[in-house]
Amino acid sequence: MKIKQSIAMLSTFAIVCGALLCMPAIGQTNTKLTDPEIASVAVTANQIDIEYAQIAKKKSTNADVLKFAETMAKDHQSVINQAVALAKKLGVTPKNNATTKSFLAGAVKTKAILNSKKGNVFNKAYIDNEVAYHKAAINEVENVLIPDATNSELKSLLQSALPLFKTHLAHAEMVQKEFK
Amino acid sequence: MNKDLKRGGMILGSILLLFFTYSCGTPEQRAINVPEPDSTVANARPTHPAGTGLHFVEIKDMKFQPESLSVKKGDTVMWTNHDIVTHDVTEEKSKAWTSGPLAPGQSWSLVVTKSADYYCSIHLVMKGKLTVQ
Repeated sequence: MKIKQSIAMLSTFAIVCGALLCMPAIGQTNTKLTDPEIASVAVTANQIDIEYAQIAKKKSTNADVLKFAETMAKDHQSVINQAVALAKKLGVTPKNNATTKSFLAGAVKTKAILNSKKGNVFNKAYIDNEVAYHKAAINEVENVLIPDATNSELKSLLQSALPLFKTHLAHAEMVQKEFK
Repeated sequence: MNKDLKRGGMILGSILLLFFTYSCGTPEQRAINVPEPDSTVANARPTHPAGTGLHFVEIKDMKFQPESLSVKKGDTVMWTNHDIVTHDVTEEKSKAWTSGPLAPGQSWSLVVTKSADYYCSIHLVMKGKLTVQ
């Protein structure tokens, strides 16, 4: 029993480290992101959380985890749809950049860890990662993407996404209590 | 002279007719003629005269605004989703009523008969309260 708990704690630690390792690289960027780069970061970050949700929907049987994953998949898809529509309207082509690559590299590691877990060990790892990922995403949107955005409509979309991510974090923390 | 009398009679008649029309029935009875908003269909639009037992709740920035609302029994409350994601409005304790999914821009209204705590069943931390005075 103790061994199981230790494994769960260790894998959670690995996932949280993975999520945090990929994020600070973004904050450390001294160069200001351009609007096409911000659009790319926004789409990528949302897409990654949809992919985490898809893994949860495949692997979990816990009703609260499944409901949370369903909400993540739908909400982040809505943000992507709006970001893509706005980019099209503004004639902006999302541009890959170091931040996008950092997100993607972190996601590859996290998905591998999630895919290797089962049962409640998976549930805990997934929801712990969601808490860490949303905390980091909120920090990036608030302190990097919104200040860097120059187009007012792009800035406004990011500002609308902020309370959404904060609500996701509160929801994730609520579900997390089940797996303490 | 006859013309003046005729005109006076017409004006008096009009006033009496207006008075009679307006005083027919109590305000409640008059309200019967106002169609009640459908409480089950998204986008239902209440047709109450302005300011007559009609309240608005904005769903904005992932909150019900105002979160707490005092109403009279039979008043209509209309929620409108101004956010970028789908929400719903669901009675919390026994799921006695729900709006179903409200896409961005959609509205839904309910004739309130009982106090209730409600929430968004998609975003469980979003909560609101209706108090019937």
